[in-house]
Amino acid sequence: MAEPAQVSLKELEKKQEWWWIAERKRSKRLDYLRKAVWKKGALGGNYAPGIKVDLELPTLFTQAWDFWRFDPIMLRRAKTNSNVLDNITIFITDHAQIMGYMGSAPHTITWRLDGASMVNEELYNEPGIMPEPQEESLKKIAEFNAYWGGQTAIDKLARVLDPEDAVKFLSGAIGWGAPTSAYGYSGKNYEYFMTGKRGFEDIIAEIDASIEKAEDRTIGLPGPDILPLYDRIQNWIAMKTALQASIRWAKRFARLARIIAENFETDPKRKKELLRIAETCERVPAKPPRNLQESLQYDHFIQILARFEAHEGAWPSRPDYYHGPYYDKDVNVEKSITKEEALDLVGEFMIRAYEVGGFAPRWAREGLQGITGTWVWTLGGVKQDGSDACNDLTIAFLQAARLVRVANPTFAFRWHPKVKDEVMREIFECIRHGLGYPSMRNDPILINNAMHWHGHPLEEARTWVHQACMSPNPTTKHGFQPMRMASATANCAKIVEYALHNGYDYVVNMQMGPKTGDARKFTDFEQLFRAWVRQMEWIFSLLVRTVNLGRYKDPEFFGRPFLSGISERAVESGLDAVSYVGERGNCWITAFTYVENADALAAVKKLVFDDKKYTMDQLITALEANWDGYEEMRLDFVRNAPKWGNDDDYVDNIMIRCLEECARFSKEIKCPCGNNWPILPENVSGNIHYANIVGALPNGRRLGDALYDGGVSPGPGLDKNGPTAVLKSCGKIDHIGHGRAFLLNQRLSPSQLAGEKGYQLWRAYMKTWADLGNDHVQFNMVSDATLRAAQKDPEKFSEVIVRVAGYSAHFVDISRKTQDNIIQRTVQGI
Amino acid sequence: MKCVECNFEGPVPRFRYLYNARIDAPITLRQCPNCQTWLAVDELKAAVVQKVTPGEAPWGKSAGIEDLAEDAKANV
Repeated sequence: MAEPAQVSLKELEKKQEWWWIAERKRSKRLDYLRKAVWKKGALGGNYAPGIKVDLELPTLFTQAWDFWRFDPIMLRRAKTNSNVLDNITIFITDHAQIMGYMGSAPHTITWRLDGASMVNEELYNEPGIMPEPQEESLKKIAEFNAYWGGQTAIDKLARVLDPEDAVKFLSGAIGWGAPTSAYGYSGKNYEYFMTGKRGFEDIIAEIDASIEKAEDRTIGLPGPDILPLYDRIQNWIAMKTALQASIRWAKRFARLARIIAENFETDPKRKKELLRIAETCERVPAKPPRNLQESLQYDHFIQILARFEAHEGAWPSRPDYYHGPYYDKDVNVEKSITKEEALDLVGEFMIRAYEVGGFAPRWAREGLQGITGTWVWTLGGVKQDGSDACNDLTIAFLQAARLVRVANPTFAFRWHPKVKDEVMREIFECIRHGLGYPSMRNDPILINNAMHWHGHPLEEARTWVHQACMSPNPTTKHGFQPMRMASATANCAKIVEYALHNGYDYVVNMQMGPKTGDARKFTDFEQLFRAWVRQMEWIFSLLVRTVNLGRYKDPEFFGRPFLSGISERAVESGLDAVSYVGERGNCWITAFTYVENADALAAVKKLVFDDKKYTMDQLITALEANWDGYEEMRLDFVRNAPKWGNDDDYVDNIMIRCLEECARFSKEIKCPCGNNWPILPENVSGNIHYANIVGALPNGRRLGDALYDGGVSPGPGLDKNGPTAVLKSCGKIDHIGHGRAFLLNQRLSPSQLAGEKGYQLWRAYMKTWADLGNDHVQFNMVSDATLRAAQKDPEKFSEVIVRVAGYSAHFVDISRKTQDNIIQRTVQGI
Repeated sequence: MKCVECNFEGPVPRFRYLYNARIDAPITLRQCPNCQTWLAVDELKAAVVQKVTPGEAPWGKSAGIEDLAEDAKANV
């Protein structure tokens, strides 16, 4: 490959080497910041060289946690976190304008040591991440682990969980995650703290008023009604403590910036910037922001502060909507900054998020290869009155994404019919540049979906953001969900596997599901389907029971003073924000490895029961042998049975029938708020993680093979009838009534979609997608040749980004098996 | 089946199954239990097609298998 400096931009564009173009086009500041940032996402399953676990935070945390042991849990956590925020080393990266990280140095990952002993033990055994001297670090970690053993959130939960549920859940076969907010996805009540009406000092004033009112009552007429107030006063004090510590922490950055500016900085331009940073950090989060820099800084501080309190596996946000008015004021009205200066701030805002990383256990690293969490930021959509919410900052974010080319955060765009052409063109440019994002979401469908499943009022539903990869979550007082745990994540291919093996799991060698009958003796498809329904109900029930209990006990076992302090209903009630009281409910079951069910059931129906080419006995024997010795038969099941994604009613009807059963059962299982648990088929890279956990299936897979990649994506290479057929199959799903959302991956040809003609083709494709009522689609637009070249010479293609599932990753950071899986996906000509 | 690297011989299932090149082709990746070499195997013929090492095939480990899988798919 030629050095980029010797090649013209036009030539680079022709070769689709967008990463070199980005390097040339971005400002010197963005170029420095992008290259200086430490990549925390795991490479396949391992951390990159140089990444070290931060031991300063665990030390400060454990010392204070032990000291405050007589306090109730929320207050204890607030005081403990205050000790961390007051004392942890802070730093300012050269050229940076946005401050804040959870570690004591840029190359560190944080360790949430109060979450789960299992994770702590794994950290002890993780090679390569111990700070030097390693022996001393290991000794220290062993001491921490001995202290925390038995008193982490999961340790406490495990003691109350039903033992059979616990064993089956912890087998790793049917679900993943940890049912605690220590590792959860916390939605945020943006409508409370991000509208410019209040900063932390205003919230503290509200808390003070509540405490005063409650204290008046606790010295008044005795009665049962005042008894809960004693606990609530302690909670309010905890929230106030957390917010006050947050303000102090921000002011430490102000002080540091001022010290550098006044004593060390020789460049007058940087000196001015440092003084502006100082002014910004003195202002926010104490008071509401006044300009774009303060608004972005306010948001970033809050995201980091939330991560001082919990791991936070996702990053629900809507930056163009909440920061857009400040961009407009600064750039268009007051002209206090130029578009280019704003783009620098927006680009850095993304880089600072890319920097964030915490230690995750191996299953999470394999399931989210290349990234540290699903930072899916929501753009576009409508305002609460239904008008178009896109603004100049929407465009700035889309432009900045092409300049900084980070794999995390990614964007998901809320498409609706009123979106202007100029915005759609910017979106297309991002996709054409191979970012894999934004994913496209059908706003009208998803607003209706939020109203259908959880009863959110229209105006609240319209505020929705992605809580993780896919699921819409309002940002309102009663609509936001403070804790969604990944453990309601079902490995759905096990449903059909258990239906075929009488509930027995040959991979973990355990009777898992109910005994639904010896499939060798099934005489018609309905018997198999009934078994499938029972196994589905069992898996969903076990996972939901576990998560419900985790949520119910979380205020007692973990406690979230900071999150509570930025949540209106907690500030008002004095209850932990994670308490289900006052929440409408917004749960969903993430349905991993779902489509295999439709293809496997269709194959059995066609080849065994309709064509009578094989008996059930022969099929089960072949599956138990992992198809070894049955290759001709296996290929028959792959090639001569209908496959999802080809607009073939035979298999599509089975898919819909399965979804109807799931939708029916979703209304029977309830969350702690009493609301529904709809399913949401998607995969992140769970399709690779589960490859060695799901046994052979009638769709032709063996134990070891990657599972299908999407939520409703056809099997790689099995969609033979073109992109419209894929959309038509997916369009048969009721995207409101069948589930919460349905992830569709598509690969498009970069050469076909070049230029204006390419844009018009894509617009026509998107029109068909919307007309058919699909709720989601995301694109990979990188050629096979580029991906194969990246496999051969990873160092030359380190900036190639691909869409894996609900997230993007740098291609060279994902495992070979995942890379192969992406290459195998059909490139659709449109 | 015989390993092309160390001549170890045994039935196909003795060679540890890794994963397929693509689901609709008979080419798979297996590992020799004796020398741990990765092998591309034609499951219909129960025969090793080639040894798989990084950099040996045109695009590294799997892309070479991709091509084999395409060929095998066309020949079935």
